[in-house]
Amino acid sequence: MKLNHDAIARHTSQVMYGLCIALTVLIIAMLVWVSGYLVSIGWKAISLEFFTQLPSGDPNAPGGMLHALAGTFALVIMASLLGIPIGMLAGVYLAEYDTDSKLATPVRFVCDVLTGVPSIVVGILGYELLVAPLSYWDGHLHLFSRDWQILPNGGYNGWAGALALAFIMVPIVARTTEEMLRLVPDSYRQASIALGASKARTILQVVIPSATGSVVTGVMLAIARVAGETAPLLFTALGSRFLPFFSAPSAGRPGYIHPSDLSYPFPSLTVQIYDYARGPYRAQNELAWAGVLVLIALIFVLNLAIRFATRGKRAD
Amino acid sequence: MSLDLSTSMASETDFGPSLMRRGNRLFSADRVMRILTFGSALCILLMLGALLFVLFSSALPSIREFGMGFLTSSEWRPNELYIPVKGSDGKVQLEDGEVVMQTIRPAFGALPVIYGTAVSSIIALVVAIPISFAASLFLTRIAPRWMVPPVSFLIELLAAIPSIAYGIWALFVLAPLLQNHVEPPFNKLFAVIPGLGFLHFDGSPSGRDMFCGGLVLAVMILPIITAMSRDVLRAVPRAQVEGAVALGATWWQSAAEMLKFSRSGLFGAVMLGLARASGETMAVAMVIGNNMQIKSSLFAPAQTMSSLLANEFAEATGEAHRSALAEVALVLLLMSLLFNVVARYLVVGKNARSAAAH
Amino acid sequence: MKLTRLMKSLAGLAIALGAGVSMAETRLQGAGATFPNPLYQKWVTDYQKSHPDVKIDYQSIGSGGGIKGITEKTVDFAGSDAPMNKKEMAGAGASIVHIPTCAGAVVLAYSLPDLRGDLKLSGPIVAEIYQGKITKWNDAKIAALNEGVALPDIGITPVWRTDGSGTTFVFTNYLITQSEDYAGSIGAGKQVKWPVGQGGKGNDGVTAVVQGTKGSIGYIEVNYANANKIPFALLQNKSGKFVKASSDTVSAAGEGALDQMKAPEHLSVNIWNQAGDNAYPISAFTYIIVYKELNYLKEQSKAKALVDFLKWATTEGQRTAGELDYAPLSDGVQKKAAEALHGLTWDGKPLMGAE
Repeated sequence: MKLNHDAIARHTSQVMYGLCIALTVLIIAMLVWVSGYLVSIGWKAISLEFFTQLPSGDPNAPGGMLHALAGTFALVIMASLLGIPIGMLAGVYLAEYDTDSKLATPVRFVCDVLTGVPSIVVGILGYELLVAPLSYWDGHLHLFSRDWQILPNGGYNGWAGALALAFIMVPIVARTTEEMLRLVPDSYRQASIALGASKARTILQVVIPSATGSVVTGVMLAIARVAGETAPLLFTALGSRFLPFFSAPSAGRPGYIHPSDLSYPFPSLTVQIYDYARGPYRAQNELAWAGVLVLIALIFVLNLAIRFATRGKRAD
Repeated sequence: MSLDLSTSMASETDFGPSLMRRGNRLFSADRVMRILTFGSALCILLMLGALLFVLFSSALPSIREFGMGFLTSSEWRPNELYIPVKGSDGKVQLEDGEVVMQTIRPAFGALPVIYGTAVSSIIALVVAIPISFAASLFLTRIAPRWMVPPVSFLIELLAAIPSIAYGIWALFVLAPLLQNHVEPPFNKLFAVIPGLGFLHFDGSPSGRDMFCGGLVLAVMILPIITAMSRDVLRAVPRAQVEGAVALGATWWQSAAEMLKFSRSGLFGAVMLGLARASGETMAVAMVIGNNMQIKSSLFAPAQTMSSLLANEFAEATGEAHRSALAEVALVLLLMSLLFNVVARYLVVGKNARSAAAH
Repeated sequence: MKLTRLMKSLAGLAIALGAGVSMAETRLQGAGATFPNPLYQKWVTDYQKSHPDVKIDYQSIGSGGGIKGITEKTVDFAGSDAPMNKKEMAGAGASIVHIPTCAGAVVLAYSLPDLRGDLKLSGPIVAEIYQGKITKWNDAKIAALNEGVALPDIGITPVWRTDGSGTTFVFTNYLITQSEDYAGSIGAGKQVKWPVGQGGKGNDGVTAVVQGTKGSIGYIEVNYANANKIPFALLQNKSGKFVKASSDTVSAAGEGALDQMKAPEHLSVNIWNQAGDNAYPISAFTYIIVYKELNYLKEQSKAKALVDFLKWATTEGQRTAGELDYAPLSDGVQKKAAEALHGLTWDGKPLMGAE
């Protein structure tokens, strides 16, 4: 009787062991399935034109996505400039200054909540704060005897899009920075303080440098996340068919730059994909698939870069 | 990891400006750093505050008008209806050769989307939990050391694919597959078995329904639950496992012991998955069928809170409509808050308990 | 040292940026209806070739989004398939002008892979299908219109738009003229509550659902059906004829519109369910919507550019409309549009005769 019981337990164990392996293989198969499909449809449509041309206006020969690539690039850079410093400083606060006080606990909690906020809700916030209210002001400032377009002249604008993306980045960067700084052994801090360094210097020159690799991971994760966001941009940056910041020379006109473009509706890869994927024209749909392929390639490369940047620095 | 403290200290002279010199109380580096970091931390609180404030103030008209009925009514009709006025004879009334129309006010009830969010999330969890736990057991108990980083990496890649890309895949691959090969046999089979009506759909299956939405969500939350539960399982004290093995437990018995030991942490991981599933937007909006009705069948089209926002927010022209959508967003945010509170309480609570035990 | 170098390069950048600002360019932002989007994209790129300083952008966010945009002044002009209703106009706070730009048709696309030949439907039957009263393709009422066509014995899945849309507005407004029972139960609007069937977001969403669902029927703009090669039903018009949607049959429906356009302020007219042997019954204009007083654009140059563009679009631009499967405006309607453009003002003075 006992023997029988043991045999059943052994069999169960073997089955569960096999199941664990099989289900892990299933997850990886899902990855191959999803990305394989997206690559297969995108590959057919991708061409040099995709990277070099602007929209042509002809739905059957729609040109390329240069503007959208440049737009996503610019939005992510702006969002990073706004979001990463705040996120990192907050992470430093949580890890170094105030690990357990009345403020740290709610901040940490709010970070976790904000990471889980649906991105579409962030888009709605951007619309209510930075799009709708600005439409009654032209955004000009008269300074040094000339007009400066410093803010959106009414309505949808790139700044709102960049801020919405930054909003998503801040809590991710803050939490990863905190976690990574905590992995730095306390002996480093004690040694630095003992040598007479101030707390600020200890943080800037000892703690952060020794966690750089891991902090970079958090930053890249945040960038990879926002580069693929559509929902928060739909109600903020909207979209545009123009190349941001530059006008190419054409028909006897010199090329020129226009820095105030973030004050206007701003292009992005994801919104352009969304737009083209919905249209009735085959050529536009295909351009959208190519866009998805480029987006995924971009994000995969970023993830690979994270891997290399942190090789050997992570427990797994 | 090695750190050369001497080089770090040697660079002290680079700090130059008196602004940073120690002893200058007003502008000491410490003070600046403290203010900056403190400000950034406050900024995060402000962000949530702004979110709650903006959503609440936009939702206020709707809260005032509908009260609790908003959460329990299932009638969602955002636009006014124009219906011909019928006279006492039951005929349509004419005036100057034109039909006299009456306007019926819009109605807003969020119950269908609350139901849709709940059911699609449950489907996602039912599918994702066993797979994630199995994978995390694989990563902690089965895989050889060299295999762990690449497998972890692949699973994390799954988390990095943008929502819109999942949507396209689900729309063109998963939904047709379900429609043609999965749902018809289910439909036939469960039409005759009493009590399993939820697996049966009267119309022709379309593949774009609650079931499909739930499956896409499952794929999307797999990596989150896997990564979290892998970390939780890794934290299980070795003694716990080795003790079980020493007592003659089989592999599965010791693994089950591990799962049981870290159940609150695993529950926290599941809660985070749930938070993600309930807020996921673009992919779900593409495959869930977008129907604001409560149907018992899993193969009927449905709608979630976030897919409703994606579908309607950009076009909500009426004040009442916009306010109602803001209230849906607010409910969604509060729900996500709740899930995080629960997840956090469980993980933190567990950590505190295990700390006390040591 | 480093700092001064940084300051210098920043100053250099600022000068370069300042130089860029001084280039005169006028930007106009439109948003709204998805249906005319391909045509508008063609228009704005074509127009820029002859007017390189005028940069016009249009984003397809849906008619409702366009109306919301013009009401909140987040865009300079709106595109909409449905004219603004009285309440929306009141909400806008100032007087609104609808400029018709072209016309289009809503068709009933279906997915019946085994069906040979054209499917014929009538308004009352479509209404019953969408009410859930006719549930099978081989229903006697459908069979009566389609003698000699073998209709399959499968269920009908009606497909509809989930988002507020001009397409739904036109379709439902047509249906209330066809069935009292329908009008009393479902009614008309940009978004209604359907008792049966399945939703898709946007024309593309409905198209995808119809393509993927055997036995489905969905109302979409004609160019989506053509581009995706989905068959659509011939529809019985007011004169009893079965008509296929095309730019000719839509234009035929548009001819009746002129009588309704009494004043320049009232160019938003209904052209569904028109009489005439060749008139397709679910036809509608699509509009660009602006305020009559253009000083909301804040710069007179913008206002001038907008009026010039609209003038160009409703005249020369009409040639492009035909090329892309849209029904161009008839000469009479073009004249009405020109009158409306003459009525647009900057600080109370008309803009068009001003030069």
